Amino acid sequence: METTPLPDEIKPVMENGVPADVVSCSAGGIPNTTIISQVYYVDRERVALSFQFFNKTVKNVRENPNACVLLNDPNGCATWILQVRYEHSETEGPVFDRMDMQIEAIASATGMTGIFKLKAADIYRVYSVRKVTFKPESTDQN
Amino acid sequence: MTTDLEERLAAKSKEVRVLQQVSSEINSTLNLEEIFGIVLRTMDELFGFHHSMILLLDASGETLSVAASRGYEGQPAGARVAVGTGLVGVVAKKRQLMRLGNLGRQRAYMSTIREQMEQAGRGSELGESPALPGLSDVESQIGIPLLIKDTLIGVFFVESVEQRVFSEGDEALITVVANQAASAIHNAKLYRAEAERRSELAEAHERLKQLNETLEDRVRERTLELYQTNRELRETQAQLLQSAKMAALGDLAAGVAHEINTPLGSIHSNADVSKRVAAVVRKALTDEALAPVFSKHPRLEQALEALEQATATTLVASDRIVRIVKSLGNFARLDEAERKKADLHEGIESTLTLLQYKLKHGIEVIRDFGEIPPMVCSPNRLNQVFMNLLVNSIQAIGERGTITIRTRLDGDHVVLQFADTGHGIPSENLERIFDPGFTTRGPGVGTGLGLAITYRIVEEHRGAIEVSSELGKGSEFTIRLPIRE
Repeated sequence: METTPLPDEIKPVMENGVPADVVSCSAGGIPNTTIISQVYYVDRERVALSFQFFNKTVKNVRENPNACVLLNDPNGCATWILQVRYEHSETEGPVFDRMDMQIEAIASATGMTGIFKLKAADIYRVYSVRKVTFKPESTDQN
Repeated sequence: MTTDLEERLAAKSKEVRVLQQVSSEINSTLNLEEIFGIVLRTMDELFGFHHSMILLLDASGETLSVAASRGYEGQPAGARVAVGTGLVGVVAKKRQLMRLGNLGRQRAYMSTIREQMEQAGRGSELGESPALPGLSDVESQIGIPLLIKDTLIGVFFVESVEQRVFSEGDEALITVVANQAASAIHNAKLYRAEAERRSELAEAHERLKQLNETLEDRVRERTLELYQTNRELRETQAQLLQSAKMAALGDLAAGVAHEINTPLGSIHSNADVSKRVAAVVRKALTDEALAPVFSKHPRLEQALEALEQATATTLVASDRIVRIVKSLGNFARLDEAERKKADLHEGIESTLTLLQYKLKHGIEVIRDFGEIPPMVCSPNRLNQVFMNLLVNSIQAIGERGTITIRTRLDGDHVVLQFADTGHGIPSENLERIFDPGFTTRGPGVGTGLGLAITYRIVEEHRGAIEVSSELGKGSEFTIRLPIRE
């Protein structure tokens, strides 16, 4: 399976587009959809997803590493669809620290310290990137 | 394509100009408030950050306080953020730049999680959202640590209600401005601390100076007190000594008066008898019947004359002894109360009588007495004053001269003046003559207590004594005493 490089224009979407939707599937073919708070740009070929609460997704990607991430771009009225494959989890290092820092900032500001925290940064390789643009309907009556 | 490049070039040029300007402005002042204003204004102009604040780390290192802000209404200066709380607190904790975006959706997401936890019965695990300074409907935030080397001094924080996208270039520029701001803030704080230290030193110096001045004043006061205490002590000692002497003199006078009065009475009585006998004999001499007898014995007439003269001399002498004994009693006033109404002239006369032996023939005493009423006083104490002044005058005159004693009434005061034609007092001694122990007669001759006691007695009578003197011409002591106590 060939990887697809992430375009530069997706960086701000990852920053501003979260929370994102993640779809995974068990080895038995049962799909699962959930929301995650962080999609972190690791490099042009990889992203990191925050592992906080959702044991079902974690279980699924360890059985079936293929997953799909939907990122909504609030500025561009677009959705980015990434096909990814789970590689490994990190509980320390610069990627983990960066994600942990952001989660800590949000959690501490909302009274969720100790609850809303990063357990691991799950590293995924990106296989395809697709941008779906929504064209706003015209309101011109003429 | 060219237009795009031109726009980007123009934008970069503007950034460089603004950076140069902010650098120049920041480095031209050491005023913290001015530095805050320059930094916040620059962020607004350069990046369009309409809401920004500078928070400085408190001395405890556990909280940050808002030192300056721009674009907010009703945000209290000094609002605090705990290190580790919110974006600002986490930036301070991690000492790294951090951005957060899409916060409206993040809040909605967090709200969903909270609801799910409450539904799952885990609501007690949830904490309260802390009150943080800043916008309530914020969408984008960025925080930059203000570092001096590796030491955090604060956080520069901007936020927006719009979705903002920060490029790496933006981050680099913001970091440059933040670093310059950190350096300028650090220098200004050092300068302020130094100024405060100098001010404290100046205040401490001033306090020390005042303390020294106070100390000098206190030393002066204490020295004066000690001087006065010493003077009073010496005066008291002198008075005790004088009192003892006067008591001894009084005892002696009383004894002498008692012993003398009895034989003196006999002498005076016998002299009187002799005088009358002589008169009888003289009368007999004139009797014609006895004339032949006396003519036969011419020495009988001579014996009678001798008897008459001796008797007269004895009577005069005995009268003088009576006066002296009376004066002795008057001077010591041994049989009288301490304070009583007394005639000062009487005291002066008694003193003169006692000093008669010293006055000799060469010293004339002129009495220029005015009308003064009897006044309540300590007569024996005032007699001491008269004695001291007159003895000094006699000693100053030597062989020949005049002592003039004047008395007069001046309003409700009696004025007594004792003037002599003695050798006078040198001007350098005039101020010291009332000091206890001051004498010009040399050791063993004078005690230096006479005038000190005089001064004290006059003070006891709430009076005043003054002296004027001219070397070679004489001295004059003037005493003013109030008539009423």
